[in-house]
This record gives sequence, C-alpha cells and structure tokens, in this order.
Amino acid sequence: MFQRLSLLVVAVLVAACNRSGDAAAKPTVALVVKTLNNQFFIDMEAGAQAAADSLGFELVVQAPEREIDVERQMQIVENLIQRQVQVILVVPNGSKEIVPAVVKANAARIPVVAVDTRVDAAALTAAGATVATFIGSDNEAGGRMAGAFLVEKLGGSASVAVLEGVPGHETADARLRGFRSALATSKGMQIVASQPANMERDLAFNVTQNILQAHPGITALFACNDVMALGALEAIAAAGKAAQVSVVGFDAQDDARKAIAEKRMAATIAQNPREMGRMAMLTAARLIKGEAVPAEQPVPISLIK
Amino acid sequence: MTTHSALRRVISSRESGTALGLLALCVGLWIATPYFATTANLANVAEQSAVVGVIAIGMTCVILTGGIDLSVGSVVALAGVVIGSALQRGVPVAIAVLLGALAGIVAGAVNGLMVTRGKLPPFIATLGMMSVARGAALMISDGRPISGFPDALRLLATGRPLGIPAPVLLMLVLYVLTHVMLTRTVLGRYLYAIGGNEEASEMAGIHVHRYKTIAYMISGLSASVCALLLVARLDSAQPIAGMGYELDAIAAVVIGGTSLLGGSGSVIGTLIGALIMSVLRNGLNLLGVSSYLQQVAIGVVIVAAVLIDMALRRRVQRSLR
Repeated sequence: MFQRLSLLVVAVLVAACNRSGDAAAKPTVALVVKTLNNQFFIDMEAGAQAAADSLGFELVVQAPEREIDVERQMQIVENLIQRQVQVILVVPNGSKEIVPAVVKANAARIPVVAVDTRVDAAALTAAGATVATFIGSDNEAGGRMAGAFLVEKLGGSASVAVLEGVPGHETADARLRGFRSALATSKGMQIVASQPANMERDLAFNVTQNILQAHPGITALFACNDVMALGALEAIAAAGKAAQVSVVGFDAQDDARKAIAEKRMAATIAQNPREMGRMAMLTAARLIKGEAVPAEQPVPISLIK
Repeated sequence: MTTHSALRRVISSRESGTALGLLALCVGLWIATPYFATTANLANVAEQSAVVGVIAIGMTCVILTGGIDLSVGSVVALAGVVIGSALQRGVPVAIAVLLGALAGIVAGAVNGLMVTRGKLPPFIATLGMMSVARGAALMISDGRPISGFPDALRLLATGRPLGIPAPVLLMLVLYVLTHVMLTRTVLGRYLYAIGGNEEASEMAGIHVHRYKTIAYMISGLSASVCALLLVARLDSAQPIAGMGYELDAIAAVVIGGTSLLGGSGSVIGTLIGALIMSVLRNGLNLLGVSSYLQQVAIGVVIVAAVLIDMALRRRVQRSLR
C-alpha cells in the first residue's frame, strides 16, 4: 500500500521537476506575489515572464493561496532562499510581516526587490535589513487622483462610501490616504461609511449591501481595488441604485475597463502591472550583474474614465 | 519488555506506515532537487511545520474523544492579539504570554462546556467559537496588526538552543509531553475510552464531561502556543492570522492515522502528518511548481494517505480473523 503512496508522490514530483528540468543553467529569479487569484498579479507575472524570456532567465512565480496569509508568504520566501534563487522579487502581503523574511534573504546574500507594495521602512531599519529597491506605483497619488475626479464629477458635494483593503496593508492604506486628502479639500464631500472588504469581490458585495442598508443615499463609492469595486457594482445594481452611485476603483483591470465602457462604473486608476513586472525583472538582471539600482522606481499611473 | 519486542512493536505500529510515507516523500525530493536535503533546508522545513504542528497536538486530543475543533485558527488570532496588545501596553513578556495562554484555555473551556453541558455537536459549538474568537481578535486589535515586540519574544523564533530552531524544540517537547500524557496517564486513557465508546465510559464511572472539556482546553492552549510562535516569527500580531489553520491541523491529524470517529490514533502520527504537509509544501516550492498545482498535490496526498490507512486497517482486520 505504501509503495503505492510513494509511487504516487514520486510520480507527482517527477512530473513537477520535468517542468523545470533545465533550470540549473540559467540565472533564476523568483517573483512572489500576494495571490494568483487576482488579474493584477497575473499581468505582473506576464510582464516579468516576457522580460525573463528576452533575458534568457528562469522565472519562478509563487504565491500564497490567500492574500491575507502572511505566514505562508514567509514560508515561500524561506523555501526560495533554500533553492538559492539569485534575486527575490516580492509583493509583500504584509509590509511589516515580510521583514523577518527579508532578514533571512539578506543573511543568504540574496537581493530582495519590493514590487507594488512597500516594505515598512521603520521595521526594516529596526531589523537591520535592506531591500535593494522599490518598484511600484505612487498609490497615494492614485488615491488623490480618484478623489479629485469624484469631487469634480459630483460638483464638490456627495455622500461617499469607501471600501478599504486588508487593514494595515500599505498599498490600500496609501490609496486611502490620498483619497481622503483629496476629499478634504471640499467640504461638501462627506465620507459616510468606510469599511474593510479585504480586496475580495464577494466580501465587497456583502459590505456594500450592508452600507446601502445604513446609508441608502450614498452618491459615490471608492474601492481600493477593482476587485472590490466590481463586487460593489453588483450590490448597487441589485439594489437598483446603479444610476445614483458613481463607483471608482483602482487597478484598471479588464473587467473594470469593460464596466467603464458600458457606463456602469465611473472611473478607475490604471496601474501598469505588466510594466511593473518587466521593470522588476530588468532590475533583477542589473542586480545579478552587480550594478547599482535607484532606491525607488516609480511606475506611471493614469485615470481611466 | 525486551528490545526485540519493542522494535517489533514500533515496526508494526500504525505510525510506521505514515513514517514510511514521509520517508518516501523525502527520498523522492532528495532525488528531484539538490536543494532539499541540506541541513539549512531541513531546519527550515522543521521550523515551518511547527506552526501547524503545535495546533495539531490539541486537535488530536479533541479528535480522539470523537470531537472536532474548528475554532483553533481564530483562537490563534485571539491569543496572538492578546499577547500583542499586552506587550504594547508595557506588560512584561512572561505575563503577556500567560494572558495569551489564558485566552486560549478559556476559549477551549467554553467550547468544552458547549459540547458537554450544552449538548451541542462539536462542529456547531466550535464553528460558533470560530466566529466569536475572530470577532474578539478584531475588536481587541481594532482590526490592525500589532507589531514591534521585545527581543526576548523574538528569540522564540530566532533562537537556536542546541543548534535546533527554538520553535522546533518547543514543538518536539510538547509532542513528547502529550505522547506521555496520552499513553501513560489516566487522562490519556480516558480520552481514548471516551472516543471509543462514550456510553460505556460513562457507565464505567468516567467523568466524560470533565475529560472532554479538558480536551478542548488542551486544544485552546495549543492554539495559544501556536499564536506565540507566529507572533515571534512574523514580529506581528494579526487579527486575521490563522485563517484555515483548523483545516491544516485536521489534515495533519488525519494523515497521521487518527480516526475522525475517535478512540484510535496517536500524537506521534500527527507529528508525522504535520511534517508530511510541510515537506510537501517545501518541496513544491523548491521545485517551482505552480501555486495552483500545489493545492492539487496537497489535496491528493491528504486523500491518498487516508485511503491507504483505511486499506491497511482492513488488511489487519482480515489477518486477525
């Protein structure tokens, strides 16, 4: 019986290792994203893969099953250190929680590049760890852009609901900060509800339904990513308030662009995950060659309406 | 008992089958990737198994009585933020750790009372606690992660006493203690007896309610220990920590050969089950297998392990006949 289990396991492993059989010769770079259940990271992977192909590098992409699983992401980074990849490109699931993993990579002399989400600077300094560079959008500027758009569209007066990301996570927090600061310039813009929906579509649907119960009069909704914005759209449509509420998202995913084209959604902020992945991979190549890289590399953003 | 018969007992025990599975997995990985069988990586795997390994101890005790504890993942979060917020208020590390342990034990005691006095099915009672503990964790922490802890606490993750990672040492000590408790003490025998036949145990004069409640309290306490490890490891106490850990713990117990019906199994099997899960995850990472395929592989191993266990048991029964 056990032979059978062993055979099964070995078969799975052999099948798996055949897939990456020629990895040893090429320089190997790892990209660890928050989750692969999000088009944004799949686009990022595509950008990195295209760059890796043109450089002749091996790219390994790994992610926890759930965006909130900081412990699992740490395990993945630990395992990649053991695999002796040359550079680790990571989108931290937790800005602070990733620090112990960065410490371990530093000890193994593997450069770490933070992509999309920053590593908490204070925690990094406290731990005596370093990140080679940060490549990402200016999320705060994006949040401001979203806020300014709503102020202009609604003539400076609106009752606004906000869907926050996972509490304490830097990317969504920066977007919120920017959004709130843009709204603060206009007295008529009131945030009546601000609730976390953890960047998840189904949770955003439920939270929005609940918000609509408490605040049936909202005229605008800002979601810290498109996944939540799309969930909110469905809840708003189900409540028959599609014409009343202007929804703004973030990330410019295909579904969101489609909703904007169909006039169901007001706007979204376009990040460029493909470019982010490409820049991250090119930076990894420079790090492998031992070249110096700038501490911050902003990726352009734009408003799509 | 002679050494010879002791050896035979080890070889014929149920755990030896699971151990063989683990061995096969390790050998397969050793062949498949040069990065697996290094000292650094094996220490790494052991450390990664500690988190779920510790919760699975309590889960084993509960499952032995024929129950289940779905609340452990949330209790990990609750105990973690209790420890975190206590430390943030300047409470000494030792006291903060005790408070965390207390949170777990109380949650476990409530589970136990709901199951025994309230006559609720364990699935329902602990499902309720799963939500309550998660909510409490979010309330205490205001939904935000708490971070920045004293070095004394961090040592629990970074320390290497006797060259062994501290979490691994702690896990092993707890496993040995629990193994002794289950095999050499009255409490242990009662837990098996209750799981084997609750009515008969009751008639034999065992305080079934009391011992069942103790099993849930052990489960709560082991969730607290896990929380402590997690907080030290990530240097952060997260109200959303531990989601899905109950399922990993149940998987470790089941792979380890403990019956979900109660009454049979062992904590040593559970340790091997937890190791199989983390070796598998580690190996799949080392091989660069896609995240999607990883989940498939893990599911296949869980089901295969139980299938094989059931087939073995049938064979043993046939040979006894």
